[in-house]
Amino acid sequence: MRHFVIVGILVLVTAVLTYVGLDVAGVATQMNPIEASAQSIPIDWLWNWEIIAICFLFALIIVPMAYSMLVFRRKPGDTTDAEHIEGNTTLEITWTVIPLFAVLALAYMGAYSLGETRRIDPNAMIIKVKGQQFVWTFEYPDTGIISTELHLPVDQQVLLKMESADVIHSFWVPEFRVKQDVVPGRVTEYRITPILVGSYKVRCAELCGASHAYMESPVIVDSQADYDSWIVEQVAIVAASQTPEGLGKLLTVKNGCIGCHSVDGTKMTGPTWFGLFGTKVNLTDGSTVTADDAYVTESILDPKAKLVTGFPPVMPPFKLTDIEIANIIAYLKTLK
Amino acid sequence: MKKFFSTALARGLFWQLIGTLTGAGLVTGIRVLMGLSATDKFFFTEPAWVLGGFFGVLFFLAGNGSVSDWFKWARGIETPEHHEERYTGWEKYLNVSLDHKVIGIQYTVTALLLICVGGLFALIFRTELAQSQLQFLKVDMQLFGQNGPELYNTLMSLHGMIMIVSILLGVAGIMNYVVPLLLGAQDMAFPRLNAFSYWIAVPAAVLLLMSLVLGGFGTGWTGYPPLSARAPVGVQMFFLGVFTAGWSSILGALNVIVTVVRMRSKGMTAMRMPIFVWASVATSIIAMTATQLIGLSFQLVMFQRLFGMGFFDPAKGGNPVLFQHLFWFYSHPAVYVFVLPGLGVISELLPVFARKPLFGYRWVAMSSMGIALVGFLVWAHHMFTSGMNEYLRLPFMYSTLLVAIPTGVKFFSWVATIWKGKLTYPAAMLFVLGGIVSFLLGGLTGPPNATVSVDLHLHDTYFIVGHFHDTIFGGFVFPFFAALYYWFPKATGRRMNEFWGKVHFWLMTPSFFVLTLGMMRIGLLGMRRRIVDYDPALNFDSTHLVLTIAGYLIGLAVLIFIINFFHSISHGEKAEGNVWNSRSPEWQVPSPMPTHNYDQPFEVVGEPYDYGLAGSKYVEFAKPEKSKNK
Amino acid sequence: MTHTQDKSSALGQGVLIFVYLTILTALEFFIAITFKSVSILIVVAVIKAALVMYYYMHIYKLNENSDDDTHSYSYKTDTNRLGLWLFLLSDSFVFAGLMAARINLLGFTRPPLNQLLGLAVTAVLLLSSFFMNRGETSMAHGDTKGFLNNIVITFFLGFGFLIGVVAVEWRLAAAEGLVASFGNPANGPMGGVFYIMTGMHAFHVFTGLIFLFVVWNNARKNIYSAEQHWGVEAVAVYWHFVDLVWIFFYPALYLIGKLIV
Ligand code: HEA
Ligand code: HEA
Ligand code: HEC
Ligand code: CUA
Ligand SMILES: [Cu+2]
Repeated sequence: MRHFVIVGILVLVTAVLTYVGLDVAGVATQMNPIEASAQSIPIDWLWNWEIIAICFLFALIIVPMAYSMLVFRRKPGDTTDAEHIEGNTTLEITWTVIPLFAVLALAYMGAYSLGETRRIDPNAMIIKVKGQQFVWTFEYPDTGIISTELHLPVDQQVLLKMESADVIHSFWVPEFRVKQDVVPGRVTEYRITPILVGSYKVRCAELCGASHAYMESPVIVDSQADYDSWIVEQVAIVAASQTPEGLGKLLTVKNGCIGCHSVDGTKMTGPTWFGLFGTKVNLTDGSTVTADDAYVTESILDPKAKLVTGFPPVMPPFKLTDIEIANIIAYLKTLK
Repeated sequence: MKKFFSTALARGLFWQLIGTLTGAGLVTGIRVLMGLSATDKFFFTEPAWVLGGFFGVLFFLAGNGSVSDWFKWARGIETPEHHEERYTGWEKYLNVSLDHKVIGIQYTVTALLLICVGGLFALIFRTELAQSQLQFLKVDMQLFGQNGPELYNTLMSLHGMIMIVSILLGVAGIMNYVVPLLLGAQDMAFPRLNAFSYWIAVPAAVLLLMSLVLGGFGTGWTGYPPLSARAPVGVQMFFLGVFTAGWSSILGALNVIVTVVRMRSKGMTAMRMPIFVWASVATSIIAMTATQLIGLSFQLVMFQRLFGMGFFDPAKGGNPVLFQHLFWFYSHPAVYVFVLPGLGVISELLPVFARKPLFGYRWVAMSSMGIALVGFLVWAHHMFTSGMNEYLRLPFMYSTLLVAIPTGVKFFSWVATIWKGKLTYPAAMLFVLGGIVSFLLGGLTGPPNATVSVDLHLHDTYFIVGHFHDTIFGGFVFPFFAALYYWFPKATGRRMNEFWGKVHFWLMTPSFFVLTLGMMRIGLLGMRRRIVDYDPALNFDSTHLVLTIAGYLIGLAVLIFIINFFHSISHGEKAEGNVWNSRSPEWQVPSPMPTHNYDQPFEVVGEPYDYGLAGSKYVEFAKPEKSKNK
Repeated sequence: MTHTQDKSSALGQGVLIFVYLTILTALEFFIAITFKSVSILIVVAVIKAALVMYYYMHIYKLNENSDDDTHSYSYKTDTNRLGLWLFLLSDSFVFAGLMAARINLLGFTRPPLNQLLGLAVTAVLLLSSFFMNRGETSMAHGDTKGFLNNIVITFFLGFGFLIGVVAVEWRLAAAEGLVASFGNPANGPMGGVFYIMTGMHAFHVFTGLIFLFVVWNNARKNIYSAEQHWGVEAVAVYWHFVDLVWIFFYPALYLIGKLIV
């Protein structure tokens, strides 16, 4: 009996110590990073209970084990066997039934927490998200804004309707907690209510190819005022860009070209567009070609026809209209 | 050297080469006749490589002689039930043998080799991860047709799959060696099938490694389409390799089940079987059935690539999520294939070193079956974020949480077995205890993943990576080492060096906990899986450096083990009797185990784990006269 | 042997089961023509499957424990039988997976296949199972000659099935626009599903034919007897298993949904 009392006390002490230890080691007794969405609150609530349960269960197993290892270990010179104890039906039923209740509790809490994270606001703002190797684009259907940054107003539920152009991606902002895959051939939905102004990043969480690690885009939660002024600004940009160059620039954002091509000379997955127009380009078959209208058109419609040396043949063909291509070309010409 | 080239292994590999060229040549020839292109980036075209890979396996098996008896049967020729062992020493292990003990050792050593290869890959990519930004796997490097990040993805994926195959082989190795001995059988039920199951795994491993040089496949071990439908031709070799290894697993498992059902010695009722046998049966039920589905899922992607059948291609009306269902229908139960034998080893060894009966034998036996059966119903917990039907998430959460109950039964029974036990701590026991602790950590991090809302955060982060390294190490790696230390004397008549065994343990265990706890820590903070580089702004650099160092220390510990293992085979301290003072039948006869196992059959007359019960016996050997008139 | 039967009653039983199966198949077809009910199709298929498993595949023999001497032929046969059935269990997971894929991708719609041909190949396969059963029964009564004759018929029926599916149906399907050409599904994933399901089944028929040839060849050398013919039994069980799979695949591919609208 004495042993059980000691062990019982030690279990509690160890559980607390484990909890404190995890806290000190930074292994998240509080779910991290900061909570920036309404959805993160029920998630963190559940997690915090789970970690407490883990600490307790850990101690519950480890302590009697360690105690026995130390206290009852074989003394030098002793060659006899230990006491013959085969089992104990009451005990066995106990440790089947008690975890059963623990599991039921967990199941209930899990369902509750999931329900909370999925609360629907019928007035949620809709934004379209497109994932493609290796860039996110965001389209605001109300205003026609297309952006590579996601701006959200604080305290307002948004519903992201997400599509993929190629492979599976996954939309994840760690501070928002929730994650949702973006699957080609279907529209997946992601509901979030940001509650903390700040700047975060969406990080693609599903392996999608060589640059998966870099598929990150800014997510900015603004106060309503800042958000409104951003919208005004963007609408103005859209309005101002009714020139061919301006439209071309928007098209390169919308189609995700800038995920692979830089406009300032840095090398990305594809060749930079800076100063491209009119220069001689070395092709993989050894020939060179001048970057003119025809070449660029072909590069967009059928990228595999002429491949630039030093780059993998990963650019997908784009089905763009003649006018759109002309606009893009007009834009490219301005990049010097 | 000359001897080596005449072994079945060398012959098989030679024929695999010939087979690959034949298959590839055949397709290329047909293509030339049809006016299609004959060569591609990696010399042959993709269909040519696929048929080549396939023929390679067939030629290997035909060439190394593991199927020759079956060909004889097909022609109506009788063969002796057992062939006389033609080789001695190391040659025995590189040739086709029908002896389950030899096959068990073949499996085990192959598994160790693969652990080294997979571990080496891990060390390479961990080195890159030690710091943010790219250090040596840079974008402008080129190796095997891949640039740095692509090579990272290939190494990471191969690390996963090679490790998993090595687990499957390790599990098969222990089961093969031990199960017939525990049952009192002379061999497995189907010795030829047994040899076949082992030998088919060898070309499978070759295929997996071929994928590395044929452009790799940066898809993760899960190979989700559409990414895998676009990957380089290496992914086809990966599919073929897994497919082939899968057959090894299926047929091996079938053999185990039949052996247990049909070959128990007299008096061994179900509730008197050693507990490891229960674990093996539970494992084999999963491996024998579910494995078909990973084969099928990969086969469908393979056909999608070769013939344009759009199973998973949304542009052709296919459904990428279907693949995930088929894949996880195997790959979740598979994780219980990894652990159940390990948990069986823990339950088998604890009584020996605690000198106490296994607490609640029946419940422990039934909990293995419980885990195996519930394990079939939980697969979609890997898909909570996948965009599958919303309403499926809750039932799969519930079923997943249920697994905690039978697993808990095991833990509590172990604790009760240890309680008041007179424990001793040789290396084998240390690994048993280490296994319990790390599996506990891994297991307890399971329920958070299972609760959907929390998993929305945890999915595809290093938290998951930490979770499964913990479960796999606790459920397989630690018990595997324990089993090797424990049964080594049985197989060789010598012991492994205890001192180096303890060094191995004390080096590996702390490093391992640092590794997985560190993984979980950064995972919670936002470290995604399968990335070659991470945002420096996240401040993960120092943790990652620690993880890499821990990884190296584990590698060093494994290296020490490997040296100890091979050195002890010929130089270990002699140990021919009942080294551990165990009640198990295999320890009642001299070591190394005689060729035909038990010269006298035994009869089970008591409970397997009645330590401390004076005068009790588990088995009684027949008197020699009695067996003579047979 | 616990189940000794005289030869003519054993053969008679085979005929009876064959008649039942034929009636059920006709019923199935009739259901598909008149109304649309997946559940009835499932019920019929399960009854057919049960008949085949019990009477043609002798599943009850798994329970037999004919000998205590672990070195005897019959003890080993019992062991082998268990192994074979476990293999079939494992194999059926592939087919179940295909079935799941089919339902997921196509729902309960029916590919536009040639009904007559479907019925014809189904009948041929059924008939081949009947002759397989006769062959096995002959061998169980030591009649090697009868066995050889029946096995030849089985072989050619099986071969006919293979030709019917691979050479005729695949071509027809392509020609009728189910698929534009091999592997180029014009009709969503229908072509893919159709080819993989029939193809995987045909592959099993093909291996079955090889096994048939092997036992035929061995029987010519007189190596089987009434008491010792595990090889024959194994091939028979395998052959009926292939039939069993078709019992489910046939309605899944040809009969789901209403035929005449
Ligand atoms: C050996 C392998 C192994 C084992 C045994 C387990 C065991 C478990 N796993 Fe794990 N798992 C993996 C290997 C394993 N896992 C791998 C490899 C992956 C990643 C695959 C990939 O994506 O690459 C994974 C991923 C994974 C996921 C998907 C995460 C994601 O990707 O989003 C989930 C989600 O539910 C999960 C849950 C569980 C649960 C609930 C258990 C349970 O079986 C654990 C049960 C044990 C205990 C709970 C502890 C002991 C019990 C008690 C002390 C009793 C009392 C306890 C309670 C009442 C809670 N695992
Ligand atoms: C058996 C299973 C197993 C084992 C033992 C390990 C062991 C290790 N693993 Fe694991 N790992 C997986 C299974 C396993 N892993 C799986 C399934 C994945 C998922 C893959 C995916 O996402 O697709 C994964 C993924 C994975 C990742 C995530 C990669 C990513 O998402 O980007 C990381 C990162 O740190 C990692 C690290 C390690 C380390 C450091 C070890 C160390 O323990 C390794 C220690 C080293 C050795 C064991 C080698 C010893 C040998 C020598 C030193 C050389 C001797 C040489 C000869 C004799 C030839 N692994
Ligand atoms: C997945 C990455 C990717 C995307 C997205 C992409 N490209 Fe490219 N692009 C490349 C690569 C790689 C090359 C070089 C190889 C080649 O010629 O195909 C390239 C080449 C080009 C070239 C020729 C450049 C030169 O230096 O000769 C043009 C023009 C071009 N792309 C335009 C576009 C436009 C317009 C879009 C969007 C509508 C786009 N790209 C989207 C990767 C991409
Ligand atoms: Cu997109 Cu990863
Ligand atoms: Cu799982």
